[in-house]
Amino acid sequence: MNIVVGFKIVPDDTLVRASGEKLLLDVPLKISTYDKNAIEEGIELKEKFGGKVVGITVGNNDKKSIREALSMGIDEVISVSSRNLDVYGTAMAIVENIKNLNPDIIIFGEQTVDSGTSGVPGYVSELLNLPYISNVKSLKIEGKKVIADRGMVSYVETVESELPLIISVGGEINTPRIPTVRQIMESSKKPVKEVTFELEPKVKVIETKPLVVNRKKIIIEANMNEAVDKLLEKLKEDGVL
Amino acid sequence: MKVVVFSESPPHYKMASAIAQSLNPDELIGISPQPFKFTTQLYVYEKPDEDGLVDFISNLHPDLLLTGSVRRDRVIASRVAGRLKAGYIPDAVNLKFDNKLTVNRTSYSGIGISQLESSLPAVVTIAGTQLQPKEIESKMEKIQLNQGRIKIVNVKPTTSGANLATAQIVIGVGRGIGSKENVKYAEELANAIGGVVGGSRPVAAELNWVSEDRQIGLSGLRIRPKLYIALGISGQPQHIAGIRDSKIIVAVNKDKNAPIIDNADYMIVGDAVEFCKVMTGKLKK
Repeated sequence: MNIVVGFKIVPDDTLVRASGEKLLLDVPLKISTYDKNAIEEGIELKEKFGGKVVGITVGNNDKKSIREALSMGIDEVISVSSRNLDVYGTAMAIVENIKNLNPDIIIFGEQTVDSGTSGVPGYVSELLNLPYISNVKSLKIEGKKVIADRGMVSYVETVESELPLIISVGGEINTPRIPTVRQIMESSKKPVKEVTFELEPKVKVIETKPLVVNRKKIIIEANMNEAVDKLLEKLKEDGVL
Repeated sequence: MKVVVFSESPPHYKMASAIAQSLNPDELIGISPQPFKFTTQLYVYEKPDEDGLVDFISNLHPDLLLTGSVRRDRVIASRVAGRLKAGYIPDAVNLKFDNKLTVNRTSYSGIGISQLESSLPAVVTIAGTQLQPKEIESKMEKIQLNQGRIKIVNVKPTTSGANLATAQIVIGVGRGIGSKENVKYAEELANAIGGVVGGSRPVAAELNWVSEDRQIGLSGLRIRPKLYIALGISGQPQHIAGIRDSKIIVAVNKDKNAPIIDNADYMIVGDAVEFCKVMTGKLKK
């Protein structure tokens, strides 16, 4: 099975802070949360059906994050460096670099933790004219047949389709593995193909400002009886009870 | 300008329609399973089919497609954008058109707000607006969507009857509540205080301690109650994105350094179940 996994390297969202009028984005990088589930799913499919898993990442080409993806079990990474790509540009960059791989399945995380557009998988599906199943929480493949449960928040939808196709996955589908020391060591021998891609974006970011809600941040430390009394008093003062 | 409106969700369809009307477009077309009268032309379909919807909307060649932001909407929106090679901006909270499109949207899991510009054609999903659509004279036509490559074999509603979107008081449970059994203490507190229980995404969508339609966060529900009580929720950015518009946030957590403190008005340091029992007891008096 030819498996392609798209993953994005992003500033660690748990460390991004606001400072005055600026968002401090100069924090350690990581593979975006659900993109790790996409990587895990790709590796599990390879373990089951054989074949090869190629990862593709567009934008930031942080070596440590790419090593992590390879350590988990990706065979090869295509690292596309670029500046200022929007969803359109990112999708074009992915398609340009994977169209010759004849993928049977392309797997993405359903939403990244930086721009969080959840737009790339659908955009790519149209550029490649492949079916797209979003928000997959469980996946079964038998021959060419694909059966998936989609978590749509107010309902779960079971769908059937056929390979080749594109899916996006969330945190429910699996638990991403933690690579062993040996896998980390061996990952340095795996190929990383570095390419660049630039395209005039259709959407431009003019500015990003922090969205700050000032909270009172009052810590109540007491035995539970007193703590609740104090809280009730405060909530009455605030007019919410 | 030709503007097309689509959403699977009625409240989202209304938001997208309100923004579409505010642009005073030359042509205003809606696509919905319901007979809404917010557009001059409305196409009503019965059975959803994602390929069929993408075909139909793309063939209208909109200058601007406005959709809601629920999961199905985002799929249709991103695919139509791909088909038309259009600019794509999801989760808009504000939109203006003056030769070019200017949109505000949240980013970095809701920590940031970004201003973006796009050329036309463009596809924008709407996440929030205070605008209300007006009813107008609408020409209605039933349509049959193309059957696509994805076959829907079963749909299981996860609805539990709770409406978190409009609730004044919401109690959110996280892994820190300990177990599915312990959620009943949150339910008892909700009954006593007149609120409803929701949960973090892992608790709702993975562990099913609360039903799946109650997941609060970036990719689930974004709520705006006057009081939100977070029980055993550490405060990941994805969760915070869903509760940011709450008036007052209370957190109960054993760890007083849990990141949720940055987004809480009050934090009680202690056990969530004990808190529920004591608080319920006092409210009943």
